Amino acid sequence: MTAAPALRFERVTVRFGDRLALHDVSFAVAPGTFVALAGPNGSGKTTLLRTALGFVAPDPGAVELLGRTVDALRIVDRARHVAWVPQDESPRDDVRLGDYVLYGRFAFHGALEGETAEDLAIADRALRDVGLADRANDGILRLSGGERQRAVLARALAQTAPVLLLDEPTSHLDIGHQLDLLGRVRALVRDRGVTVLAAIHDLNLAARFADRVVVLSRGRLVADGPPSDVLSTELLAQVWGVVADLRRDARTGFPYLIPQQLLTDPGRPVGAPGRGRVHVVGGGGSAAPYLRALAEEGYRVSTGVLPLLDSDLETAEALGLAAAVEVPFAPLGPAARARNRELLGESAAIVVAPFPIGPFNAPNLDDVLPFAGRVPVFLAGPPGIAARDFTGGAASATYAALRARGAVEVLGTAGLLEALASRPTAAVAAPAPRLAAAPDG
Amino acid sequence: MPPRAVGQILLHYLSGGALFPNPCAGTPISPLRCGAYQVILWQLVVPEILLALIVGAALGISGAALQGIFRNPLADPFLLGISSGGTIGAAALYVYQIGVADAELFLPLFAFVGAIATGLLILGVARGRFSSVETLLLAGVALSNLLSAVLSLLLLYNPTGSEQVTFWLLGGLGLASWTVDGIAFGAVLVLGTLLALHGRELNLIQLGNDVAQSAGVDARRVRLRVILLASMTTAVAVAFTGVIGFVGLVSPHIVRRLGRSDYRIVLPGAAAVGAIFLLTARDLSYLVFAGSVLPLGIFTAFAGVPFFLYLLYRQRRTTTMGGAA
Repeated sequence: MTAAPALRFERVTVRFGDRLALHDVSFAVAPGTFVALAGPNGSGKTTLLRTALGFVAPDPGAVELLGRTVDALRIVDRARHVAWVPQDESPRDDVRLGDYVLYGRFAFHGALEGETAEDLAIADRALRDVGLADRANDGILRLSGGERQRAVLARALAQTAPVLLLDEPTSHLDIGHQLDLLGRVRALVRDRGVTVLAAIHDLNLAARFADRVVVLSRGRLVADGPPSDVLSTELLAQVWGVVADLRRDARTGFPYLIPQQLLTDPGRPVGAPGRGRVHVVGGGGSAAPYLRALAEEGYRVSTGVLPLLDSDLETAEALGLAAAVEVPFAPLGPAARARNRELLGESAAIVVAPFPIGPFNAPNLDDVLPFAGRVPVFLAGPPGIAARDFTGGAASATYAALRARGAVEVLGTAGLLEALASRPTAAVAAPAPRLAAAPDG
Repeated sequence: MPPRAVGQILLHYLSGGALFPNPCAGTPISPLRCGAYQVILWQLVVPEILLALIVGAALGISGAALQGIFRNPLADPFLLGISSGGTIGAAALYVYQIGVADAELFLPLFAFVGAIATGLLILGVARGRFSSVETLLLAGVALSNLLSAVLSLLLLYNPTGSEQVTFWLLGGLGLASWTVDGIAFGAVLVLGTLLALHGRELNLIQLGNDVAQSAGVDARRVRLRVILLASMTTAVAVAFTGVIGFVGLVSPHIVRRLGRSDYRIVLPGAAAVGAIFLLTARDLSYLVFAGSVLPLGIFTAFAGVPFFLYLLYRQRRTTTMGGAA
């Protein structure tokens, strides 16, 4: 990847009055790639696209198109470098579709020159690319919503610009037309080497079609990478304020998110603050996602017993959680276990993370048993313990005993949060949502 | 006047006297009467017809250009206060008796200066940083009203000349002469041609200023240029014929109703329709009110207002602003 970027944002900052619309956003788009720009409403996606079109000047910062600063390009030259498909272009006049697409050739000839054979051929190809070649003589107002958006794409393609910007091109379309339109854009990237930067607020569509996803949140770049790296339940919670499950399409391998609920869902039962906390038993990194999810959700959380240097303990310390601690590579001592039982006793719910259980840490599981039936116990992670039972069956037996006393299996952090939330009677404390994440619209 | 005499007189002049050296030969018209007819036809009627065509074309193309730039089918060359500005110029002449003796020279001059000053004022607003198309249109309407009030005030305290001003306000072809026609033709030809070259820009501007700019149109500059050109074209029309309303409003719509919404065609098309419209209005006004001089503005309003109301009615029914469906 030594080729110069087709589009480069360099520390782009944009202010509207005293509102910071974009803050220090930097990334580059390699030629011939499809980059999706994701983020909630009001996160700055459209503003960022507008800086690339020269509608908004970054201050400070710069946007480069094929190595040339956008601001330094004349408007007519910009049109030769970058084309734009706006979110909602509603034509007023019933122009013939063929003429409408030819409007895209504006930058290529003067007022007194007519359209050349080349212009007509380019317009014709653009119409074929969007599958409307047989509609060239129809008025654009007679096209359906899906067809009209394709017509807009054809008009932009007629500019034959190497860079194509799309602003929520599918937001007014049904799912069939969404897939159709983005599929055509994908094909253009593949077959014509067009570079695409598209604001797409549907993360699943972004993951399905883009080579790379750049996520903006409140004007800042918060994630950037291949869809499989970027898409995560944590990101969705942090940026969109939504609890979701992350799955992977078995056939295509594309990650996709299934939104479950809003973090700040007003209808959700929320325990009174200070009535108890959630204790997580884990180790070796197994508890970290649950600690993070619970803390972000606003629960008070404790954990233990964890050996020093354990990655779960690092997470707990980073989150400022209460924890029972033991020295590493040693059996759990009586002091640590006593501290852990104390924390367990104060908890309103207990979560058993899917941690590998050996002779040293088996007492962690044993100590949960007396509390099962008194407070809700959740067995998190994939079902089946055999693979991580290194105690010769003792741990499996304890799991069975926990289940017998009413412990519930939950899948993933989303499953856990949902299970906790759906227990209005449980004295599980979920203090005022610290992560008031519903982003401004 | 017998048609044969009319034909012979016209051919006599058009051929520079080569054809029909004696235009009334073969007709039962006495040579004395023939001389009077020649003057009436060649010095009065023909210049008037030509002026009607020139001014009609000017108003038609200005209306089309302004409707295009404002993306509003109700925009009109007079909506922006250009006519009111011209009227104030004319009123100043009559009220303060400046150069009334040379009214033929000074009236168009004053009216043109008044109209163009107003146009430039609107442009000043258009250059403002926050001016949207809607703001600009509203500013024009507001300014137009203000200038009308100024005019009323002027006439209220200076009854002298108010009759002439009122007559001028209603528009007419009374100033028509070969000189006037020549000046008007030259100005409208140049300005109209420049306007007509903006068809492609206006086509794209119909899709929104941002879309237009993304396709290479410098929307802001085009807006300023088109408003300036349309103001000047209208000012020429106002200078010589006063306020002849509704030609500029109606002509572009007739072109669009004929199924053409491409501004490369709408602009010259509206000029042609405007020319024919005004000529027809002139002929009809003489036919209906034979023997009296009826202000042309009144007649165009009679034809224009019902159409205007029809447009409003249609616009409520259809969602498309262009109304071309």
